Amino acid sequence: MKKAIALALVGAMSVGLLAGCGGGSSSSAAASSAASTEAASEATSPAEPAGATVNTTDPITLTMSWWGGDSRHEAYQNALAAFSEKYPNITVEASYGAWSGWEDKKSAQLYSNSAEDVMQVNWNWLSQYSPDGSKFVDLNQYSDIIDLTQFSQASLDACTVAGELQAVPVSMTGRIFYWNTKTFEAAGVDYPKTLDDLMAAGKAFQEKLGDDYYPLALGEYDRMILMTFYLESVYGKPWVENGELQYTAEEVATGLDFIESLEDNHVIPSIPTMNGKGIDANNSIDKSQVWIDGTYAGIFEWDSSANKYQSALADNSGFVVGDEIKFGDKANGGFSKVSMGLAITETCQHPAEAAALINFLLNEEAGASIMGSECGIPNSAAGLSIAEAADKVKPLVKEANSKVMAFVDFPLDPTYESTDLKANPGGTYADVFGGLSYDEYDSTAEAAEDLVDGIEDALASAAQ
Amino acid sequence: MSAATATKASGRTPFKKWCDENVGLFFLIPWIIGFLVFKVYPFASSLFYSFTDMNFFKGIHQYGIMNYVEIFTDKATTTSLLITFKYAFITVPLKLVFALFIAYILNFKIKFVNLFRTIYYIPSILGGSVAIAVLWRALFRDDGVINTLLGYMGIQGPSWLADRSWALFIICLLRVWQFGSAMVLFLAALKGVSADLYEAATIDGASKTRQFFSITVPMITPVIFYNLVTQIAQAFQEFNGPYIITGGGPRNATTLVSLLVYNYAFKSNEMGMACALAWVMFVIVCILTVIAFASQKHWVYYAD
Repeated sequence: MKKAIALALVGAMSVGLLAGCGGGSSSSAAASSAASTEAASEATSPAEPAGATVNTTDPITLTMSWWGGDSRHEAYQNALAAFSEKYPNITVEASYGAWSGWEDKKSAQLYSNSAEDVMQVNWNWLSQYSPDGSKFVDLNQYSDIIDLTQFSQASLDACTVAGELQAVPVSMTGRIFYWNTKTFEAAGVDYPKTLDDLMAAGKAFQEKLGDDYYPLALGEYDRMILMTFYLESVYGKPWVENGELQYTAEEVATGLDFIESLEDNHVIPSIPTMNGKGIDANNSIDKSQVWIDGTYAGIFEWDSSANKYQSALADNSGFVVGDEIKFGDKANGGFSKVSMGLAITETCQHPAEAAALINFLLNEEAGASIMGSECGIPNSAAGLSIAEAADKVKPLVKEANSKVMAFVDFPLDPTYESTDLKANPGGTYADVFGGLSYDEYDSTAEAAEDLVDGIEDALASAAQ
Repeated sequence: MSAATATKASGRTPFKKWCDENVGLFFLIPWIIGFLVFKVYPFASSLFYSFTDMNFFKGIHQYGIMNYVEIFTDKATTTSLLITFKYAFITVPLKLVFALFIAYILNFKIKFVNLFRTIYYIPSILGGSVAIAVLWRALFRDDGVINTLLGYMGIQGPSWLADRSWALFIICLLRVWQFGSAMVLFLAALKGVSADLYEAATIDGASKTRQFFSITVPMITPVIFYNLVTQIAQAFQEFNGPYIITGGGPRNATTLVSLLVYNYAFKSNEMGMACALAWVMFVIVCILTVIAFASQKHWVYYAD
């Protein structure tokens, strides 16, 4: 009898363990899967695309993820609470965090089919992780629920990969200069509006304030983007077109010379100098003491980042959005891109309801008035009107975005942001620009060869 | 007598007999399942993937030893292997010596000894956290606490976070600082050394230093050996320190192999390469462990 009881107990334990294994193996981010599975069992079958309607009666649980800062987290949470008020039967479980390490986690979740139902996605994720449309739902099928007419066709096209609209473009973005005019005042110069101003500021900072002061600070990826702006302006052609790099190694070398000239003229600190100040892949400029106290007085950043850099300053009264600088005479140069999108994963059990959530956040009064410009200037025409009427568009972000959009004149190929190129450390951009700044190259021509090779490899890989 | 009659006579079927003889196996089933699912399967699958070009989002297109060839020919991987060896050979001896030194001090009868033991163990609990990353940056920035202190002494401190050699050094320092677990083991070992031996040595006129090297060290060699083997294995798997403090920089100077495995697996999604690199590291740790075990007959003293 004792043996029988013991065997029964062992059997029960084994079943329990197996049950545990089952759950664990299906999803490391178990919350979302579990929630979805639970919802699937207790609610309805997945909504049919084309003419799909939102279930407003049965209890449904959706999961959603995003990255960002505290103010974005707060906005999303308030908007999700408002969504639950509109749809009392739908609960949204949120997963959010900072950008650092976020893509590593989300790419693993996408691979293992355990990603959240609704994801805030970076633009290049669509082509990098779902080149065949296997990871995200085609949102054209839910156009009855998401009002796609509020978005420009160009932005929708940018999110169309493999013939499927894999995300709704939340906002468009580009790079622009921001200046801390307090430091410029101390150096006795106005903030730069031309390349000559920029070079002159470098000298003025060094002479008036000392070797530690710089008018501009650029990390490796920032240098790559500024160089692209420079080359496009000087040569008048896009960086990549039809999957092919449009620049020769010799042309790229002139761009690298330009970046070197900024270092040589004390416009930007070298990468070793920035590393020594604690700025590196883990620690962005806005978190450094040299930015906080104004020792570094300028940055070249996304238009949606204005508030982050402004709020980091100890004295932010002199923080202004600068003007784009035209480096050459062939074109303005520079690019804008989809900043981020909202996508529904293929594993979502309630795509119609997920679509309703996206529409609520981007197009509807109750959602868009809360989200404001937390994810950049809304790309949705209705969303922008609502946010402006609610006075939720941050003036700095609006000013920066307006200047960028009025200036840039080239599109961006999504491979530009591929992990192989952008990763730091290990990516081509970090290797080349870091190596150049650490004097690991004999010449810019040699560095240009490496950069071109890395980019062509990434383009070839993307084309496979 | 037929078999059926015999079974009937004993009252037990062959199945019941088999169950009686193998009941222990049933008790082991939960462990066996866990072992198979969480150890054997990942081990076997990672070995398989190491011979492929498996990418999370592109699948497998090639089979062969190309990953292993790349590991020993590519600059990034060979440099990372060398850095990892350097890291292990710096941190393991330093940590052992430091842990033994502190344990030796804490073995004396001093006031508040338990408080000191707790304090010295705290760094091991903190591990690789964001708070430690912030602390290390504040200490080792160009204008950080360390350089400020060095400045007071008239010394121009190096650029700890920007210089390749110094960056590796501060990562090593973090590991040495977290000496608590090794210290606790040494402390237990020191308490196990018989007081008779010291008494006899004192009568013979041996100094404290002589007693330490001729009695203490030989008597605790089993624990030194244990700490050596575990610390070697841990040093080669170190991930948190470089990940949180330097991110592998500057210029990959602190990209230890474990960090490179992570980068291949979760940044580049090249799982085949990540698995191959993990296997190379596994084999290296195995070889070093075998060498350590082979050497113990020359220097480890087991009193029993």
